[in-house]
Amino acid sequence: MLKIENLTATVGEAEEAKQIINGLTLEVPAGEVHAIMGPNGAGKSTLSYVLTGRSGYEVTGGSATLNGDDILEMDPEERAAKGMFLSFQYPVEIPGVPVMTFVRTAMNSQRKLRGEDEISAPDFIKKSREIAKQLKLDAEMLKRPVNVGFSGGEKKRLEIYQMMMLEPRFLILDETDSGLDIDALKTVAEGVNAMRSPERGMLVITHYQRLLDYIKPDKVHVLAAGRIVKTGGPDLAHRLEAEGYDGVLGEAV
Amino acid sequence: MTTALRDLIANPNAAELELIARYGMLPEDARRERAFEAFAKGGLPHRRVEGWHWTDFKAALPVIETPAETGVAADPLPTEGALVFSFTPTGFTWPEDLPEGIRVLAKPEAQAFGASEDMPLGALAAALAGGKTKPGTLMIEVTGQDLPRLHFRFSGDGEANFARVQIILRPGAKLAISESYLGGAGFTASLMEYSLQAGAEFSRTVYQRAGKAEVLAATAAVQLDEGADYRQTTLAFGSKLSRLETRVTHQETGAKATLNAAYLCAAGHHADITTEVRHGAPACVTRQLTKGAVLDGGRGVYQGKFFVPRNVGQKTDADMQHNALLLEEGAEVFAKPELEIYADDVECAHGNTSGALDANQMFYMRQRGIAEEEARALLTEAFIAEALEETGELEDVLREQARAWLAR
Repeated sequence: MLKIENLTATVGEAEEAKQIINGLTLEVPAGEVHAIMGPNGAGKSTLSYVLTGRSGYEVTGGSATLNGDDILEMDPEERAAKGMFLSFQYPVEIPGVPVMTFVRTAMNSQRKLRGEDEISAPDFIKKSREIAKQLKLDAEMLKRPVNVGFSGGEKKRLEIYQMMMLEPRFLILDETDSGLDIDALKTVAEGVNAMRSPERGMLVITHYQRLLDYIKPDKVHVLAAGRIVKTGGPDLAHRLEAEGYDGVLGEAV
Repeated sequence: MTTALRDLIANPNAAELELIARYGMLPEDARRERAFEAFAKGGLPHRRVEGWHWTDFKAALPVIETPAETGVAADPLPTEGALVFSFTPTGFTWPEDLPEGIRVLAKPEAQAFGASEDMPLGALAAALAGGKTKPGTLMIEVTGQDLPRLHFRFSGDGEANFARVQIILRPGAKLAISESYLGGAGFTASLMEYSLQAGAEFSRTVYQRAGKAEVLAATAAVQLDEGADYRQTTLAFGSKLSRLETRVTHQETGAKATLNAAYLCAAGHHADITTEVRHGAPACVTRQLTKGAVLDGGRGVYQGKFFVPRNVGQKTDADMQHNALLLEEGAEVFAKPELEIYADDVECAHGNTSGALDANQMFYMRQRGIAEEEARALLTEAFIAEALEETGELEDVLREQARAWLAR
């Protein structure tokens, strides 16, 4: 599914450019959930932006493919149409654009890029209603401008709402647990777990083990200084929580 | 042409000579003469004249001629149920049946224009409106409340189109009007005068769209009596050179003016939104919101001024906001917000911003699959939308026009 090989990438312009990803290799097969953990500054968010094509992040070497397609050459919207979805650590406010308009535009843009027909208004509304109910989202909220005036928890739930509406093939969750209380965390995790399927892969980026109690990963990778330095099963997350990155990494590297 | 007439303007260009010739062909009229002299003192305003620095008519109008390629735009404003008054370079049409509460007089002669010194192109319109087929002044008196919208259309191929309209709203009268400036003539100049008596309510929607060859000066002078409520919304796409100028005088207590505008300028299009509001009476309210978005090669100009004299402007409540988006490299926006306040017990605020679209918002939208151009259009539409909200039934039409432009 997602295959990253010896990836190197820099952040910043020209002479200011700093290498943040340093030969990262990682494979997430379809149907699996992998977690990436790592200390601050390890390159976790950078990896998510490099994979989704944010400008200002330049790939200097290596490759990344999704189902065999080279995604690094694509515009962000093409990657989205191929099924890449990033749940943002800090979801962005879009004043003046209601949630429903936004998601419907996104959905139809993706369909257009894939050569599919637009979704009909009744189908869209029906789907939206079901998902909103599942995520305990107020229908009124979906008429408001995207993320404007939303609490931290509401923003994260709205990310999951968009994810469930757009049904991407590969999900990247960037620090989805940050800013969530335990109830919101459970709701969000239920949404994510409902998305698990044999055709879908997920990369869960997190600082703490807490989220992984609710979204159980198949594998845990430790990212440090822009590379995967350790890979293990779910127990690795618990060890990191107990012993800290220094403790776990000290023995390995 | 007599020598005396020829000497009216110092160093005239071909366009100014043509304007003098047109004036010479109109019947003699002392008021017309005063208006023309007020224009002629400076001729076509140019960059060295205060208030015209960024919008230079003398440079944009070397000659007056029918554009080889006109950009006459379709009129998007609905006319069903409206009373349509149409000014073309050569003619004028107006509705035969008028409801009670509206009286229309098409006067051949000019009326006095008091502010001609401050508004040279308004003075020019006052001097040159009229002739065999067009009224010198179209006077409309409104006493009713539940009236159809009056729609004024300025379009049609030709050299020049001059028009002057005076509307007076008697106490308590209510009226909505719209104006479409659609291009076609090489030079269009209009003077609209709106006088709202006590408690009158007036809504004005202005739509302007023309090509890269047309030059337009639409001037409005507005006077507000006690408790009058004036609401204006403009959507301008510019042309070779377009200036939409509004001067509002609060002349009695408790009047309210709302002046909103949005401008969208593509390459070769210049839109100038200029306003001046004089708080000449206590406790008057002004709300002004101007939003613009400009592409490479387009030019937006915003000049706003609030003037609050010391002895009469106490308790003024006024707010002026201008926000512009430079959508591409090479887009130009010039802004000059001015507060000139001498009274001490007032609430006046202003804000002025210009910048590019937010990169975070753009990436967020594209990550969700929205193509770059569409994301840009959605964000820009959302950005200007607030300035079009006061237009009631016409809001959707204006939004649609803006959306179509953004999606081009």
